[in-house]
Amino acid sequence: MLSLLIHNARPILAVFGIIGAFFAPPWVPLLIMLILAVRYPAWEALLIGLLVDLLWLPATAFAALPIFTLAGLALVWGCEPLRREFLVGKRV
Amino acid sequence: MKSSYRQNNSRRSNRVLVVATVAVICILFIDALSQGGVRSLVRASGAQVWSLGSQGASAVSAGGFFASRKALVEENEELKGEVERLSRRLAELAALEAENSSLRTLVRVAEDLEGVAAPITSSLRASPYGTFTIGAGRAQGIVAGDAVVAGESGRGFVIGRVSEVSERSALVVRTFSPETLIESVVRDVPITVEGWGGGNARAEAPRALLLEAGDVVTAPSMRGLPIGVVASILSDAASAYQSVYIGLPFNLSGLSFVYVVSLDS
Repeated sequence: MLSLLIHNARPILAVFGIIGAFFAPPWVPLLIMLILAVRYPAWEALLIGLLVDLLWLPATAFAALPIFTLAGLALVWGCEPLRREFLVGKRV
Repeated sequence: MKSSYRQNNSRRSNRVLVVATVAVICILFIDALSQGGVRSLVRASGAQVWSLGSQGASAVSAGGFFASRKALVEENEELKGEVERLSRRLAELAALEAENSSLRTLVRVAEDLEGVAAPITSSLRASPYGTFTIGAGRAQGIVAGDAVVAGESGRGFVIGRVSEVSERSALVVRTFSPETLIESVVRDVPITVEGWGGGNARAEAPRALLLEAGDVVTAPSMRGLPIGVVASILSDAASAYQSVYIGLPFNLSGLSFVYVVSLDS
C-alpha cells in the first residue's frame, strides 16, 4: 500500500492539488505545488497555479496579478537547478 | 547507456515543462483578450464541482461512513441500517433548517432593500484573493459593482461587491479582502477601514471618540449599509488614535444564500 502511494505520489499530489484549488484554503494547493516542483519537473504545479487563478482571480485592478500562476512558474523553473543537483538520478 | 537514458528522460521532461509554460502563458493571454472568457468557463465548471463536492460531503457525513466503520464489526446489520436511516434524515433536516433560517433572514433584509437572492456556489475560504462565486448573473439583472448582502437578526451586512458577471454566475470580492480600503462611518465619525481578509478589518479612529464593541460600521458608498461591527478597540495613552478592529457579527462559512442589491438606485 505504502509502496503504491510512493510510486504514484506525483499523480496523487496533483489530484489533491486540483481538488484543493476548489475546496481547500489557498495554502494547500500552494504547498502541493511546492512539493511537486521540488521533487519532480512537474507541469502539474503550473496547472494547479493556473486553475487557482482562473477560479478566483477578480478583474479589479488591485489584485489583477495572477499570483499563483507566477508562483507556479517561479517554483517549476526556480527549482530546476535544485532538482538537477540533488535528484538527478531520481527523475520521473 | 543508463546515462544516455537519463539525459533523454531529462530532455523530455524539460520539453514538457517548456510546452506547459507556453500553454499557461497562452491561456492567460487568451483570457485577457477575451476579457475573462476563459475564467467564466472555468468558474462555471467550478460551480458544478462545488455542488458535486457538497453533495458528496453531505452523503458521506449523513451515511456516517468514517464514524461507523469500526462499529460495523460489532453492530447488528439491522440496527446499523436503522441508525443510518435516522442520521441521514437528521442531516437532511439540519441542512433544510440551515437553508430555511438563511432564507428567513434574507426575507427580513429583502423587506427593506430591493434585490436578488442568490446561492453561494463556491467555497468561501479557498480563494487567495478573497473572492467567491454566486449562482446568479446577467440573466438575473446583476451588474458589476452590486453589493452582496448577508443577513443577521434582520439586519443586512454588505459582505462583498460583484466584480465580474457572466450569464448565470458572478464573482464577488469580499468587502474585507486584503488591502481593500473603504471610507466608512462609525458613530457619525468618518474612518478608513482597511481589509485584512477572513472577514476582518482594522481602522484608526480618534482616541476621543467613545466606541464600544458591537457598534455598527456603515459605508456611505454602499447606500449607508452596515459592513461590520466593532469587535475590539486598542487604545494607547501615548497616541492620538485608537485601533479599531472590525468584523462581521456572523460566521461566513455558515452562509448558503446571499442577497444582491444594486447600488445605483
